[in-house]
Amino acid sequence: MYVIVVYDVSVDRVNRVKKFLRMYLTWIQNSVFEGELTEADFERVRAGLKKLIEEAEDMVVIYRLQSERAMKREVIGTDKSFSGELL
Amino acid sequence: MKKRNYYILSDGHLKRHENTIYFENKDGKRPIPINTIYAIYSFGSLTVTSQSLSLLAKEGVSVHFFNRHGFYTGSFYPRETLISGDMTVKQVQHHLEDKERMYIAKAFVEGSVRNMEKVLSYYDIDFNTDEFLGMLYDAGNIPEVMGVEASARTEYYSHFDGILKHFKFERRTRMPPENEVNAMISFGNSLLYSTVLSEIYNTQLNPTISFLHEPAERRFSLALDIAEIFKPLLVDRTIFHLVNKRIINEDDFTGELNGVLLSDSGRRKFISAYNEKLNTTIKHRSLMRNVSYQRLIRLECYKLVKHFLGVTKYRPFVIWW
Repeated sequence: MYVIVVYDVSVDRVNRVKKFLRMYLTWIQNSVFEGELTEADFERVRAGLKKLIEEAEDMVVIYRLQSERAMKREVIGTDKSFSGELL
Repeated sequence: MKKRNYYILSDGHLKRHENTIYFENKDGKRPIPINTIYAIYSFGSLTVTSQSLSLLAKEGVSVHFFNRHGFYTGSFYPRETLISGDMTVKQVQHHLEDKERMYIAKAFVEGSVRNMEKVLSYYDIDFNTDEFLGMLYDAGNIPEVMGVEASARTEYYSHFDGILKHFKFERRTRMPPENEVNAMISFGNSLLYSTVLSEIYNTQLNPTISFLHEPAERRFSLALDIAEIFKPLLVDRTIFHLVNKRIINEDDFTGELNGVLLSDSGRRKFISAYNEKLNTTIKHRSLMRNVSYQRLIRLECYKLVKHFLGVTKYRPFVIWW
């Protein structure tokens, strides 16, 4: 599945969340990650986030899509993220 | 397939930061999420830190290195996590017993010959499969089996000029390849060896104990064995696609080392077509689900595992579509 993760987390935890998501997803812009995940990795990401945040204060939204093709993506401005296998 | 192969063609550094991998070059810093990496293929001059290697090893990611001419130099084969003494003993047993070794070696060649036939039949070209299989049946020792493989391949290659709408092939030359098609075959084969090696890493097989090739002959020789079966499907078809669709042309090659090699742009084109091939999926008949061509290599390893353990007899993969 393809996921988009958006978060608003208190400053003392924001870096930890970013660092965690970096291991699975592509950084798009501040507080936004996206990428392809397997079912198992999705559960890992969800459980990991749950542990990191303070549920009374922070909020994380995960948008789940069937696949990348199910999404129409449009960028306005400069895209600072990278993807692709050939470097 | 959620994990991907990454191909690094530019020069740069591979670093570890925030428990993930960063690739840095003159264009900037590019994070590669560690959990998306299946294997890394490096072609440029790459500086790797030991921290990044330890992270890659922890995640079981192998890194394959090629020199600036595109020739395979070696692999970073992380500490194995899937070890089974029992498996290794059985694998060695099959190697030592002549009858068992011949069976597997012949199966590899049979698979290779049948796949050559399949590739040619797409272009309505007849191939003397039965003759080669007969010779294979009569072969009494490993050099003879290798001989059948070689003559089948020579015959197979002789049809290339009829398929290719562009470029001349003539005959197989290597070290160095003398023309464009040979350059692509050499490059494709070394890519395939490392792809197979990555798959072997993910099984309990020992990559050094081979059956068709002599184990002492070269590096990870089991990868050479299994690659034979997949060369027609993964390498040769990629070449036909690139040449006949005119994706690759003279500008994508350079004359070097008294031969012809893929240039930077050529390598880029080849790799992206090759990677697309690996990710192509096909409905598997007995698994009843879609599998990628890359996955077929892994399934081939599993079949060997089952053969060694005496569960099911090994039959080589033959293109069924």
